Amino acid sequence: MAGGTVTLNDLTKRFGSQCAVDGICAEITGGEFFSLLGPSGCGKTTTLRMLAGFEEPTSGAIVLDGADVTHLPPNKRRVNTVFQHYALFPFLDVRANVAFGLRYQHCSKKEVSQRVGEALDLVELGPYHGRRPAQLSGGQQQRVALARALVLRPSVLLLDEPLGALDARMRRTLQVELKALQERVGITFIYVTHDQSEALTMSDRIAVMNRGRIVQVGRPRAVYDEPADAYVADFLGVSNLMDAVVRTPGSAARPCAVMAGDFELEARGGVVDATGLVRLAIRPERVTLHGYRESVANAIPGLVERTVFLGSATQVMVHLAAGVTIQALVANGSEAASWPAGTPVQACLPPAALRVLPCDPAANPVEQAAAVPAGAVRPAP
Amino acid sequence: MTGGSLAPSAATGVALPGISRLGRIRRLRRPSILRGFVWLYLVWSLAPVALAILFSFNSGSSVTEWQGFSLRWYVGDPYYSVLHDPALHQAVIQTVRLAVLTTVVAVPIGVLFAIGVHRWRSRQASAWTFVMLLAFVMPELIFGVGIFLLLTNLLTFIRLGTTAQFLALVAWNISWPAIIVRARLQSIGAHYEEAARDLGASATGAIRRVLLPLLFPAIFASVVLVFAGVIDDFVIVDLLSSNAQSEPMSVIIYTLGAHGGSAAAPALNALATVMLVMSIVTVAAGWAVYRRLTRGERRRDEGLSLGPLTGA
Repeated sequence: MAGGTVTLNDLTKRFGSQCAVDGICAEITGGEFFSLLGPSGCGKTTTLRMLAGFEEPTSGAIVLDGADVTHLPPNKRRVNTVFQHYALFPFLDVRANVAFGLRYQHCSKKEVSQRVGEALDLVELGPYHGRRPAQLSGGQQQRVALARALVLRPSVLLLDEPLGALDARMRRTLQVELKALQERVGITFIYVTHDQSEALTMSDRIAVMNRGRIVQVGRPRAVYDEPADAYVADFLGVSNLMDAVVRTPGSAARPCAVMAGDFELEARGGVVDATGLVRLAIRPERVTLHGYRESVANAIPGLVERTVFLGSATQVMVHLAAGVTIQALVANGSEAASWPAGTPVQACLPPAALRVLPCDPAANPVEQAAAVPAGAVRPAP
Repeated sequence: MTGGSLAPSAATGVALPGISRLGRIRRLRRPSILRGFVWLYLVWSLAPVALAILFSFNSGSSVTEWQGFSLRWYVGDPYYSVLHDPALHQAVIQTVRLAVLTTVVAVPIGVLFAIGVHRWRSRQASAWTFVMLLAFVMPELIFGVGIFLLLTNLLTFIRLGTTAQFLALVAWNISWPAIIVRARLQSIGAHYEEAARDLGASATGAIRRVLLPLLFPAIFASVVLVFAGVIDDFVIVDLLSSNAQSEPMSVIIYTLGAHGGSAAAPALNALATVMLVMSIVTVAAGWAVYRRLTRGERRRDEGLSLGPLTGA
């Protein structure tokens, strides 16, 4: 079970004239929970299928534990897959499904029985061993798929949106279980998902993909807090974005001075030495609201458009004088602040939380624009 | 409008009180002229068959006057019963022989054809699928005459008789397994096979351990359809028969029934009944086994069950 390091070396896959995966490089260390995160069509599933051996790369190499497996068929790789739609064999019961691959590992009958039992216990499905897949719930089927792959003790387990077909509650439960399971078995998990919260919850590292390329790789916290560009910022949950012009480029020691509309702001995050047109990003939970008459640094005045009660927090939409609407997340603590619609406020954008991102219109995720709630900042029409 | 949409649920017996009440109202309103027409149609189409079956059990030799029940025309009569008249007896054997041979050869070829064309995925592949579909719309007579001319003019080393009948029936019946299995392949998709490969099976291993079991209901359905189809076939086997030895039941019934001959009329009725029962039993048994095979699938995944057979 040791090992499980994967190296992707300039991996490329073209379907006809279309480039699905465009020169991906990545180092995945043994025992890591590594997520490929991106919207549909970004090439994450194609990458996974190349790792599994279902697609032949157009160029580039896949190295598994030091051995080049780029052109090996799926059955010759110590890699197993958990499919999005489980692909459990409907004519076999749970036990036979889990035992399916053991035939090729030349185990004795006793060993097969023992390992299948262990695998089913691992996913807490022991009592269900005699059932057919059709007699199980979606979550149970997913566990069988997991057991069927893990029983073979692969070096790397590939998971293709395994929770995608489940309801939200089941998904949250299984996320935690899956992470715990991965830590217990110590196998490298490569996890494909389009759900940012799923990736943030479970991963050791996340690779955010867009248009066949990896845009950013890092720990969940780093990717979330320090997105490399507007695309990543936007994709990893709601982020306030606004256009700005750099007035004085900053450095490591000095914040970058930018003009957002008529307002001058300081930003310490992101590419502080950028020049010209940039985009500013700030998470809703980092925006603080203050009374209109208070004197606040690094703030833009605005009017509260509406508020949405979310339970633990209140979402406040503020239309800024700079011409955009941003979203602020105010915790519903003891001194629950109330900001009725129409209240003039000052929205403080702390320099440490304000990030300067390179302005690359091509990288702007158009398909995300519609999906992001009204809180995300768009240039006013 | 509402009544029309509710009628199916009433027919399937859904135990919703309001709906079943509405369904009953609708039944009362149904015009009785339609019901009469349906009964008339059933009597018209089934009465001759019922009469033929009935008089095959007549103890006398009349086909119009009932003289008591007996199995005389099946086994009893030492000269004219199906069992003892060599021509009738031979016809049953010939029919079963052709049905078994054709099924055993046509179904595997059709299945392989379907898998091949499914993998191939090209313009040529869809052209071949079209050729298969063409066999469904081509009149059997045209096909039969074509084969007849081919065998009597060009391929003269193949004699008319069982061999010719067998070859033509195989060619004519390959479409069934090809179309049915291909339809099922399309609903199965590639992911089961990919899962098998992923778990360590070789390409052929995945076909054997995963694809064939998944295809089994479709293969079984093809077996039933081909077998029953050959039993019922008349045009091809008649055109390509050479002598009394190679005349199956349908041909005997036609020649002796239409043109008269040595056999007694009730014995022909008995032969026809044997043929009918063979077909019905084959299809009924096939349907029952098919329902059993796909029981688990139908509950959850309608996509996997095969429309033509379960859809009724």
